[in-house]
Amino acid sequence: MEQSRSKATEVALQELLDKYNVKVDQPLSLSTFSQPGDSLQLLPGWHLLASLPKTNQQPLLTWRVNRAFTELRKIIADSVVENACLFRFSCLASPDQWSVDALIYREIDLCEFISGGKTMSVFAVREKQSINIILRLDTGVLCSIEISTQLPAGSPFQERHELIGQRGTASDRVVDTQVSQYSIYGYTRNGIEQYKDTDMELFGFDENQIEHVRSAFELLKTPVLIRQWADQHLHLVNLVNAVHTSASERRKVIIA
Amino acid sequence: MKPIKIAMLSLTHGHSRKYFQTLNDNRHFEWVAVSAESDKIKQDFLSRGYDIPCYLDEKEMLDNHPDIEAVVMASANSEHISQFRLCAGRGIHILSMKVPTFNMVEYEEMMRLAAENNIVCQIELELHYNPVVARLKKLISEGAVGDISTFNATNITLTPVWAFPWQGVPEKSFGERVSLSSDATRYRGGCLCDHPHVFDMIRWFTKSDFDYVYAEAGPNIRPELQVEDTMLVTGKMKNGTSFLFDPSWSRLEERLEVPGPGWEVHPKRMEVNVSICGDNGVVLADCFGPNVYHNGAPNDRYTVQYTYFDEWIGLMEEFADCVRTGRQPAINLKWHQKTIEVMNACYESIATQSPVYLP
Repeated sequence: MEQSRSKATEVALQELLDKYNVKVDQPLSLSTFSQPGDSLQLLPGWHLLASLPKTNQQPLLTWRVNRAFTELRKIIADSVVENACLFRFSCLASPDQWSVDALIYREIDLCEFISGGKTMSVFAVREKQSINIILRLDTGVLCSIEISTQLPAGSPFQERHELIGQRGTASDRVVDTQVSQYSIYGYTRNGIEQYKDTDMELFGFDENQIEHVRSAFELLKTPVLIRQWADQHLHLVNLVNAVHTSASERRKVIIA
Repeated sequence: MKPIKIAMLSLTHGHSRKYFQTLNDNRHFEWVAVSAESDKIKQDFLSRGYDIPCYLDEKEMLDNHPDIEAVVMASANSEHISQFRLCAGRGIHILSMKVPTFNMVEYEEMMRLAAENNIVCQIELELHYNPVVARLKKLISEGAVGDISTFNATNITLTPVWAFPWQGVPEKSFGERVSLSSDATRYRGGCLCDHPHVFDMIRWFTKSDFDYVYAEAGPNIRPELQVEDTMLVTGKMKNGTSFLFDPSWSRLEERLEVPGPGWEVHPKRMEVNVSICGDNGVVLADCFGPNVYHNGAPNDRYTVQYTYFDEWIGLMEEFADCVRTGRQPAINLKWHQKTIEVMNACYESIATQSPVYLP
């Protein structure tokens, strides 16, 4: 099943590369299974947390091409929300789809990506498959990150990214709501159905697949990202380790 | 039940107007008098049309109305100890605002005075009478999420300091001027002092107390305030439940001297949201939602109009019952002491940049 999903996304990626005339001179893989050495394996970075990426493995920061997050980043960069003070992030997932470490990796990168800053310190508290993090950026922004993989298997991903400034707030969560919204709600003889379709060129893929393909495409189209994302991956691995150190030693960890 | 003859002190607390309506409408009470802290506050009270005498001296009020049985202590935190001594000495029962005092020596004195004078002292923690919280408690106690791993909550609002200035003055809000940290431009007394509810809720839900707490203050959204307006708090309870609290004043407001329509800049001016994760799943709660929404007068700004049930119904019923029957309320000084202690510990953590352990 995973192999057929990977194959479908690889086909979609190649179609995009062909459509936009992006030349790649080696075989590409989006699969997590081991690949021949001449094949470039493009994986979401959390798949490469356990050990250093091999020379043919490229970590992807897949959420960085998600329109919601690029718009939040732009809101900060363009000072639509001025002088950011507080970020409130939350990510609840099910263990069949995500690990705690993957979510730590993702959410800390989102703090840095949206703010344009770098992590200076972390303090974390963990209990079972949930972890809370207070993080300070070098821009002065204080961030809270709430992470859990205690949703039942198959549950939809629940996340919130709220930015609070001296002027204005921004969020991917509607005011006065608690859960993520969909574009379509069906109450039919088929039961309750919900859909959020965000990409016409990749219609039919789920959000994770879309992010995987789009981020791979973006990296191949913009080669400067190869080194940037590889360096950021190593930085994030260090931060994930710092979070666990903080949680186990019950102390604030300053990031060198 | 014979109505309780009740008065209000000072009228400087943000909930004062709520008590005007409650004491006027609630059949358990006979509203006798108020004392205002200043002539300006007196004039504001008189303009509201309540046929209630208004004094500028609380001792004079109590002397003129010796039949007063109870007071709502609607004053700045710094005034509570002197008012407590005055009322306890006369055997007058007290409904205290959510922070009796941050000075634990004063706190011990309040407990002693209440016991020695056999008075009821109930703390205003209205979420105990909120139907969403009641449902949430029922779900959790029935095992909806199993063993709790995390209890995360917000208690975030706009800042009331433009209408109730004492909440931005360290000596009046915290009780003394203590630097927040090595950053000597800010002092204890801001948003944390306004937001004890979630610290109380986790104790109530988990039946446990705090093991350690770690807090950081963020940059001020309102740089001119001399107290903190953003903060994050994390830690663990003694039973292992971890928590993350946001008690910030992170909802921007128009700087109105009298709260009213148009107060909100951020659409939702107040929020207590809870997220509880456990072995069997997750429960999310909005204690003050859903609501209705408009963007009409006065400034065409999208605004949440709350529709929540009046928590003061249950709160005042309990107070009245305790006064008449002599029992102590569930939310009393002894219960609340550990909540105030952990709030003090948050400030200590900010200063030391380390977790603070509670006994």
